[in-house]
Amino acid sequence: MKKMIALGFEGSANKIGVGVVTLDGNILSNPRHTYITPPGHGFLPRETAHHHFEHILPLIKSALETAKITPEDIDCLCYTKGPGMGAPLQVSAVAVRVLSQIWNKPIVAVNHCVAHIEMGRIVTGADDPVVLYVSGGNTQVIAYSEGRYRIFGETIDIAVGNCLDRFARVLTLSNDPSPGYNIEQLAKKGEKFIELPYVVKGMDVSFSGILSYIEATAEEKLKSNECTPADLCYSLQETLFAMLVEITERAMAHCDKKDVLIVGGVGCNERLQEMMRIMCSERGGRLFATDDRYCIDNGAMIAYTGLLAWAHGMSTPLEEVTFTQRFRTDEVHAIWREKKDSTELMEEDV
Amino acid sequence: MHSYKFSFDSMACFQISLFIIVATLAFCDFEVDCESEKKASIVYNALVVDKELQPDKVKRGMTVSDGKLSVHFEAVEARFLRASCSAFLDVLTLAIKTIEDFGQGLDF
Repeated sequence: MKKMIALGFEGSANKIGVGVVTLDGNILSNPRHTYITPPGHGFLPRETAHHHFEHILPLIKSALETAKITPEDIDCLCYTKGPGMGAPLQVSAVAVRVLSQIWNKPIVAVNHCVAHIEMGRIVTGADDPVVLYVSGGNTQVIAYSEGRYRIFGETIDIAVGNCLDRFARVLTLSNDPSPGYNIEQLAKKGEKFIELPYVVKGMDVSFSGILSYIEATAEEKLKSNECTPADLCYSLQETLFAMLVEITERAMAHCDKKDVLIVGGVGCNERLQEMMRIMCSERGGRLFATDDRYCIDNGAMIAYTGLLAWAHGMSTPLEEVTFTQRFRTDEVHAIWREKKDSTELMEEDV
Repeated sequence: MHSYKFSFDSMACFQISLFIIVATLAFCDFEVDCESEKKASIVYNALVVDKELQPDKVKRGMTVSDGKLSVHFEAVEARFLRASCSAFLDVLTLAIKTIEDFGQGLDF
């Protein structure tokens, strides 16, 4: 039997990506393009959308060519419905609506956060881990329970990646390939730990106060030569990641799970992975993490998650192919995980 | 498929609205010749899904006839009209380019 194939579109932030995957998680192609702003600047919705307008059509061509497929081979088109920035999200939605009519293919709307989780699970083989989803727009500790990915802890203000990105702007570090990567490299040269606020509130974390504090202290400490930019990057990483490890460990104890999966752009940070790995091994569990190919936003993760839903009978009619800036992880009914659990039960009965 | 026909009468409405501030509307009308009913309706179906973000300030209407897509904007102030029209032209351009790039050889 022919393998099911999906074409997925991701454009919720500063990356636009188109990916082709099969239902068994085989990635046939996954090209993407990143909108990189000058040092000291962030990306704004309108300009980011223009970047996506420019690159989406060449990316579709390249995805089809690399995967060696034609539109007839595609079973469904998947796109990011949210969460993310409105204007960039609209680019994928409009392209998918047109292609669906030209090629006569169904559409599946996908939640960006759930897509990160499913991509992480298929790439690493983690079955039922506690998930730490850390990126420029989201910071959540998630675990699956009764049909949904439940959020056990999250940020109450800005995302951890946003905190790092904005600190990189203070130091005017390059945004190429990403501000977080450049902070990580600089942090390796840090020697002196500067005490920063540590803000864990129960299961939740807060980063905006830390950012304000380090923005203010950076200027005066650098001027008086009390520390180097590397020391600040090192101290910021250690503080933020310690907070994330703490709330992840609390969620693990709460839902009695031993393994952790880190997904999202900040998940490529090797120092975060190292700290989490130590905590997991102390609890007799394992850490699952991926590299920048899968951690960072891409089209294949949308295609794969959409295909899972499509294989379980879900699709989105054209008039409902909308996008939304707010779309919580626990709003999605993860029907593909339920079915799997019930077949396992049936096998056990036999 | 490339001809955008802007009716510049709309610009007159623009200016009038600046003089009569109270309860006046700014208008903008334009037409895209898609050269086929099918192509025009694909563009229409793709763009009709997104509602205007401030329906109390900007209203948008679209119709398809003779392979042409006609768009009508109405706003309470010129600045809302500018923002909405400009964003709409971006997605309209993408929809048309997508058909041009991937609609080849299909029966339209």
